[in-house]
Amino acid sequence: MNAPVTAATVEADGLHKRFGPALALDGMSFTVQPGQVTGFVGPNGAGKSTTMRVILGLDRPDQGRALIGGRPYASLRHPLSHVGALLDAGALQPSRSARHHLLWLARSQGLGSRRVDEVIGLTGLATATGRKAGGFSLGMRQRLGIAAALLGDPPVLLLDEPFNGLDPEGIVWMRGFLRALAAEGRAVLVSSHLMSELQDTAGHLVVAGRGRVVADTSVTDLIAAASGDRVRLRTQARSEAMTVLANAGATVAATGPDTLTVTGLPAPAIVARLGESGVPFSEVAAHRATLEEAYMELTRDEVEFRAQAAAPETAR
Amino acid sequence: MSAPAITPYRSPQAVGRDGFAQLVRAEWTKLRTVRGWVIGLFLVVVLTDLMGLFAAGSSHTACITGPGRAPRTGRACAVTMPTGPGGQAVTDNYYLAGQSLAGNGSLTARVTSLTTEQASGIGPNPVASLKPGPVPWAKAGIILTASTRPGAAYAAVLVTPDHGVRMQYDYTGDVAGLPGRVSAAQPRWLRLTRAGAVVTGYDSADGRHWTRVGQVRLAGLPSSVRAGLFTTAPGWQTTSSSFGGSEGDGGPSQATATIDQVSRSGPWAGRGWPGTAVGGANLPTVGVHQAGGQFTIVGSGDIAPSSPSNGARAQTIEQHLVGVFAGLIVAIVIGVMFMTAEYRRGLIRITLAASPGRGRVLVAKALVAAAVMFVAGLVAVIIAVLGGIAVVHSQFGYVYPVTTLTAIRVVAGTALLIAVVAVLAVALGAILRRTAAAVTVGIVAVVLPYVIGIGSVLPIGVAQWLLRVSPAAGFAIEQSIPAYSQVSNSYAPAFGYYPLAPWAGFAVLCGWVALAFALAVVLIRRRDA
Amino acid sequence: MKAALAAEWTKQRTVTVTGWLLLAAAVVTGLLSAAAAAAARCPAAGCGGDPARVSLAGVEAGQAAVAILAVLAISGEYTSGMIRTTLVAMPRRTSVLAAKAIVVAGLTLVAGAVGVAGSLLAGRLLLPGRGFTAGHGFAPLSLADGPVLRAAAGSVLYLMLIGLLSLGVATAVREPAVAIGAVLALLYLFPLVAHVAASQQWYRHVEQAGPMTAGLAIQATTGLPGLPIQPWAGLGVLAAWAAAALLAGGLVLRLRDA
Repeated sequence: MNAPVTAATVEADGLHKRFGPALALDGMSFTVQPGQVTGFVGPNGAGKSTTMRVILGLDRPDQGRALIGGRPYASLRHPLSHVGALLDAGALQPSRSARHHLLWLARSQGLGSRRVDEVIGLTGLATATGRKAGGFSLGMRQRLGIAAALLGDPPVLLLDEPFNGLDPEGIVWMRGFLRALAAEGRAVLVSSHLMSELQDTAGHLVVAGRGRVVADTSVTDLIAAASGDRVRLRTQARSEAMTVLANAGATVAATGPDTLTVTGLPAPAIVARLGESGVPFSEVAAHRATLEEAYMELTRDEVEFRAQAAAPETAR
Repeated sequence: MSAPAITPYRSPQAVGRDGFAQLVRAEWTKLRTVRGWVIGLFLVVVLTDLMGLFAAGSSHTACITGPGRAPRTGRACAVTMPTGPGGQAVTDNYYLAGQSLAGNGSLTARVTSLTTEQASGIGPNPVASLKPGPVPWAKAGIILTASTRPGAAYAAVLVTPDHGVRMQYDYTGDVAGLPGRVSAAQPRWLRLTRAGAVVTGYDSADGRHWTRVGQVRLAGLPSSVRAGLFTTAPGWQTTSSSFGGSEGDGGPSQATATIDQVSRSGPWAGRGWPGTAVGGANLPTVGVHQAGGQFTIVGSGDIAPSSPSNGARAQTIEQHLVGVFAGLIVAIVIGVMFMTAEYRRGLIRITLAASPGRGRVLVAKALVAAAVMFVAGLVAVIIAVLGGIAVVHSQFGYVYPVTTLTAIRVVAGTALLIAVVAVLAVALGAILRRTAAAVTVGIVAVVLPYVIGIGSVLPIGVAQWLLRVSPAAGFAIEQSIPAYSQVSNSYAPAFGYYPLAPWAGFAVLCGWVALAFALAVVLIRRRDA
Repeated sequence: MKAALAAEWTKQRTVTVTGWLLLAAAVVTGLLSAAAAAAARCPAAGCGGDPARVSLAGVEAGQAAVAILAVLAISGEYTSGMIRTTLVAMPRRTSVLAAKAIVVAGLTLVAGAVGVAGSLLAGRLLLPGRGFTAGHGFAPLSLADGPVLRAAAGSVLYLMLIGLLSLGVATAVREPAVAIGAVLALLYLFPLVAHVAASQQWYRHVEQAGPMTAGLAIQATTGLPGLPIQPWAGLGVLAAWAAAALLAGGLVLRLRDA
């Protein structure tokens, strides 16, 4: 990936971090490009949160570096106008009102209270600003956290599990909100351990596992790869169809009482073979994997991904 | 169509026992699985002992062994005190004009005057500085003692300038007789009779009508005892305490008594009344002068229990427990966190869902905190006391001896103090639910009154009031040497004397803890978790 | 730095606990000073009392409130996790601590000044009735009197330095309970150890070294030659403690992960 480094680029470069005996980051490297939502996914303990904390200068990496627009976070002046972050929605003093929480943050960036009111409006918190943040529901806190991230109107947003605690309506709102932010040309990195949340939102995916990047791919490519050349066949004559197609060199698996999944034979060829043999069928369709399936596919075969991830490292 | 009978699911697992012991175990597991708290327990021991040993080590002092000599250190400064029959350190220093009594008998005498003088404590010649001054507990009268070795068992009937006639025995015993000041116009007749080990004291205003003052059995009294006339006068001292410290001044005293009409019965040996400065001559002026049946005896010193006082180069065992305040602070921090950690992340909801008996949960928590702190405190206190004694002895210092029972009370009581304060901390945590506030309230309630109470910052009256009503009253459990009403001393908290008796002070603390704990139980029941 | 200051100031003024603690610091200082003045006695000339010190005695209790305020200024953020928000917004950690220090110092100066003024007023009104009269050699307390002014201004500075010391300790240890315990233990340790030190020499050394024992020397207006440490030198000792604590806190903040 040789895209130009703009103010809206996030780079993680060979991050290593050890907490006592636990290796949290083991060569985490990726780049986040502007203009799209990048999903940062992986199982619990894959190193997503640690990576975000390192990018934000909270944790010091043992090796490697993280850059925002080509500069380390700590060197940024008024960093919230470069990066907006949501790490832990509960990270606020419970006895302070939501508006005051945003106000001190704004002061730290030399911003006025007008901007505070703007982000309150943007995140739909206007009716709750006077209340103590300690009494907020998780969903409200997530909105408050997003408001804080938007204070500096930054070109980069780093959001750790922003869907946590949102109701279905909130999830829909958040998806649209993130897409809109990305469409304005911002780089948006969203971590999640639930792929379904990122469906229709993320344009690019960084998949992490055991402290390193397992896959770094666009969502379209990933789904295409996971879908493979599988064809779904619906038929009342399951066993006949299996025999015919197996003889033709395809791999056939029964996936339902009247459905088969066929691999190794394109759909037109299947139609031709079944027609030749007189086996009845009601539907033939190319299979399209969901993001979740694609992700499961990826993480199921761990060895392969490790080999993939190791390759660029040896090349360097 | 009959529906098949459905057997409800039953877990094959045995049902866990439900009871208070399980609750205690759960709380104990919570405590021991937080590394910071376990480290804190060690910190109780380490801080208490380090500070105690530092205090013991800093007792290294210099002394001046004679007029005009350079200050010296080490063995030359070794302090020793005789030990009385009761095992306590005593002062046994008086001038005796005595004879031997080899069996049962009695001795009678009349005291017609008692005057006192004070000498300056500084300067090369104390005698030259002698001038009349009050010594309320100067003593003159008749004494019967096992021997003239300091610390021997004795009984005496005596007159004092300000406290009338007294019968005193074995250093701590003190019974009041006729009141009033002795003079030629108001003389006092005194009598001691001995029957085996039993000695009885009498007094009389006219030599005809006698009143029994008291009777005592002196354990281990030999058949031949020493008896006679004596005079002594304890050193004087003044302490003025004000903000920012106390200043003390003091020096030796002497008393001069006139005694006549001496009569005796029984197997007495010898005719004259030779003088002996028992325990050494405190001033060169002490002695006896006899003329026509009238004795004039000059004495200096005291026959009394020795008690710690301002500037004394001797330590009590509780002086090695100064670090207990640090142990208490750690105990308060752990006790509060043990409770407030439940509130910080909502753990309390899990705890109370698992054991809905809220009061019982609180009791279990307090019990665990108390037990753990008692053990840590006991270890800390034992090391501090034994180590402190060893350090002081290695520097030729002196530690006041105490009876085993007193030692156990001081050591176990101090451990109990730490345990009870941990309960207070748990209660405060439950009441306030805020860590910082609860820790501060705990420390300000328990440790601050102690610090300013014993710190010779406040006037004595205010300090005593503070140590009577505040939770810091519990520190009285540490006091190993009681205040004696028959010994003039500045019994100020600054010198280790608490206004309440050990267990009374501890009870005041327990009262506060009970109050806080009851409030905590009420609140935890009433409030939403 | 200006922005960091504005942020820390906003943080402090938007939680109610700040106001209560400042009020507590001023009120406790004033009330205990008044109580001490009411309890003091000077029966005769040469009674050896120090009226300025008596009427400023409440500072010993007021410092507890100052300590909590300062400890909460940083460890409150660690308990809630807000410290991460703070450090993301202001990655220059030294500036964050410096801003906090300035805000805490400013707030404690104000609260201290109010408390000390109240204390002196109470002393001025109460002490003549307790024997601290011109007849016994005591002039009424007045800020026009050089040593009294020094004692009063020094007490305000003392409270500020206690605040900074607490802030430094709390930054280093993070956990509020431990921080408050450590600060109060540090303050009380020295007077207690000095108290049991049997030799005068040790007593003086311990008094000279302790943040509270040395720092409170600033309140002395009489008997200066006999003090273990002179007033400004004593306040200097406390300032050194505060600086060392802030340095330790700053190092921990910089070196440890948030």
